[in-house]
Amino acid sequence: MTQNQREELPIDVLFVGGGAASLAGALHLNRQAKENNLDLEIAIIEKANEIGSHSLSGAVVDPRSLIELFPDLDINSFPFEAPVHTEKMYFLHKSGFKLGFPYIPKGMSHHGCYVASLGKLTRWLGEKCEEEGIDIFCPFSGDEILYDDNNCVIGVSTGDRGIDKNGNHKPNYEQGYDIKAKVTVFGEGTRGSLSKQLISKFDLMKDKNPQVWAVGVKELWKVPEGTIEPGYVAHTLGHPLGNKIFGGGFIYGMQNNILDIGLVTGLDYNNPTIDPHHELQLLKTHPWVKNLLKDGELLSYGAKSLPEGGYFSMPKLFTNGALLIGDSAGFLNGMRLKGIHLAMKSGMLAAETIIDAFKENNFQEKTLSNYDKKFKESWAHKELYKARNFHQGFKNGALFGMVNAGLALYTGGRGFGFIDKMNGHEGHLEMQKKSHKTINRYKDLIFDGKITFDKATDVYHSATKHDEDQVPHLKIIDPSICFDKCKEEYGNPCQYFCPASVYEVVEENDNERLQINFSNCVHCKTCDIMDPYQTINWIPPESGDGPSWKNM
Amino acid sequence: MKILCFVQDDDGAINPVSKEVIALSQEIKNKLNGELDILTFNQDLSSELNQYEANNVLVCNNQELVNYNPLFYTSAVEHILDSKNYDLIIVGHTYQARDWVPRLSARKDIPFISDCIDYLIEDNSLEWIRSLYRAKINSQLKSREKQTIISIQSGCFKADNIISGQSEIKNIDLDLSNVNKTIMPGEKFKESGSQIDLTSSDVIISIGRGIGKEENIPMAKELAELTSGLLASSRPVVDSGWLDHSLQIGSSGQVVSPKLYLALGISGAIQHTVGMKGSNSIIAINKDPNAPIFELSDYGVIGDILEIIPKLNEAIKDV
Repeated sequence: MTQNQREELPIDVLFVGGGAASLAGALHLNRQAKENNLDLEIAIIEKANEIGSHSLSGAVVDPRSLIELFPDLDINSFPFEAPVHTEKMYFLHKSGFKLGFPYIPKGMSHHGCYVASLGKLTRWLGEKCEEEGIDIFCPFSGDEILYDDNNCVIGVSTGDRGIDKNGNHKPNYEQGYDIKAKVTVFGEGTRGSLSKQLISKFDLMKDKNPQVWAVGVKELWKVPEGTIEPGYVAHTLGHPLGNKIFGGGFIYGMQNNILDIGLVTGLDYNNPTIDPHHELQLLKTHPWVKNLLKDGELLSYGAKSLPEGGYFSMPKLFTNGALLIGDSAGFLNGMRLKGIHLAMKSGMLAAETIIDAFKENNFQEKTLSNYDKKFKESWAHKELYKARNFHQGFKNGALFGMVNAGLALYTGGRGFGFIDKMNGHEGHLEMQKKSHKTINRYKDLIFDGKITFDKATDVYHSATKHDEDQVPHLKIIDPSICFDKCKEEYGNPCQYFCPASVYEVVEENDNERLQINFSNCVHCKTCDIMDPYQTINWIPPESGDGPSWKNM
Repeated sequence: MKILCFVQDDDGAINPVSKEVIALSQEIKNKLNGELDILTFNQDLSSELNQYEANNVLVCNNQELVNYNPLFYTSAVEHILDSKNYDLIIVGHTYQARDWVPRLSARKDIPFISDCIDYLIEDNSLEWIRSLYRAKINSQLKSREKQTIISIQSGCFKADNIISGQSEIKNIDLDLSNVNKTIMPGEKFKESGSQIDLTSSDVIISIGRGIGKEENIPMAKELAELTSGLLASSRPVVDSGWLDHSLQIGSSGQVVSPKLYLALGISGAIQHTVGMKGSNSIIAINKDPNAPIFELSDYGVIGDILEIIPKLNEAIKDV
């Protein structure tokens, strides 16, 4: 009903989400359009106040896509921290034991790659877009997908602003826009809220392995001169996750004595009391890690989920009027721990597809399916296909996973050397109901305020901020499940898996209730992914709200 | 060192941060043997401003400056800067200042160091301190230009330090007819709720999760009344709906620096302490001896606030 009154903004191509995939895609599209004498109006909408402040990654970046996108630029002018010069892989044990892997297989090596901050990279790409005349609208979140009568995607409506918690208009109320586009490109990042709707509406995961996610929790530290060199890269296995939980730690050296430390925890663990934030704190209690941080200072904190499922977990990439790119489409190579170059490439392939579509003036699947063809002919496909069974191999623990990955290197990606396609499982279904065997992994974890921090303190360092007087952007579809069922069966795992203390079980007058501290949210989407009943729905809050990351 | 200090008019009263600006400007003036002019756009404030130590109080009475408009504000100060070579222009880091001061900086090509929390004087030159990464580290900045604009964060300097004295009132007539009215103010909208100004109180009685239930709030209220203070809280109390959000102290609430801050049953999460660590004197009462609030407090009592508050109330009544 309100649809008719909303202001319309007709454009040609809309990118939803201002991450690496969309920014690279928009740049490539703009240049290709000029070459083909097409006058296209291109816009990007981004929910953060500015490009980059919701971007978080490790990151070690393969420069391949950037070189393709900027063939005339010297590699030294890319916004990287430093080339990878030292590469280590360690197995850690909580006793303090540390074993270095003598040899890093070629498929996992970071040779020729660069330590970088994704926030810095996206900001730089954003500036390039603006220099070339592409409109970037910040902060505007995509609220709803717009369809025509034939279920063809025709754009996105952006969220209203200034609505209070009861749904009434505040004095600063401002209505959103209907941005109508011939092609809408969904680059919302991991577990995109609109991408999720699109995938479900058109059954785009049909005949695919389910997507499996992990969550990366990361801190930025300032350490004394000489602690770490820019370009130092270390990955860890073992402590604290052990053999059963997929994931591992990373420590990277950035410029100006900044150290990145993070831990990726697979969101397909069994124990419902696993707490990814606490796991990172445990990593820091290892003597080697502790020593690196001992005279340092915590600067920033954040978390982000990442699609780990790999090639077989990628959705169908197109539908009438729309394309999926980047993390929203699962463009991530779990074996190489890299997705930024693939995300950028997916945006660029989408751009080339869109050019073809405009030439034929047809924006249906007939022309947009070219995206899939272009992908299959690209190096991105070759790379992802080689790692197609990587994540599935970890089903029975890290040891099997590594053996599988190692064998796959010699057989072009076959599982354990012979299986062409290994099946995957939905991560949240792996969670076991709580029992007397559920162990408390954190009973010895002390937050000393120097090396280890409680969640509230870490969340403070994410600089996240949400107007308290709005409808919570975390919707519990069926709240009765929380205490009728979930408490009994799983012990409300949301209070543990959320790395930002959004979900809190509060005792009040002998009753328990679930308090949703939505203003703590760092937009990682873990709750939307890992809730065992899939009853939490993450939608964007009022545009501009959320973390304010500088160089994550 | 010629200093111009801008006083913001808040519906006929001096903006609280502007008072801190005056105190700071006087301090710098005296340390560097400079001159200080105080600028206001409201004549009614001049009689109060006149009682502070300064050289001149400059009053612009233009009708265009009665209601806030960034274009007229910028032009007015631009004219003032053209008439005298000020080295330093200091304003409070208010919402208004965030709007118009960058325009001034750009138009006059004067560097603007915003949201400063402190300063240093080295070899007779000023260095400014700003905090980064949510107050985790500080940066020190020095302007290379002759003129500099500074805005200061509220609560970082003490308005109490204003030195009384005398100055000359100078009325200034400005010709603002050239200002292109591309921005016109709309209707003012009222911020919801915040009728109580916590920042103005000398004593704040602040309660946290330790208060337990809503029925226990009256005893804390009584303590606030007995000490002529105001009742405030940390986040859980507001989340439970027992007090209004306008009474919340911390990163998502208000920032205060009273003379006395009583933290009752407050653990001291960083989100809360950033809102009160500037208080002159902090007394914490908490059951948990490991509560981080004790690291910050001047006096600490380990005990149950539900037992201590009534006794405290009785004791104060006896005095």
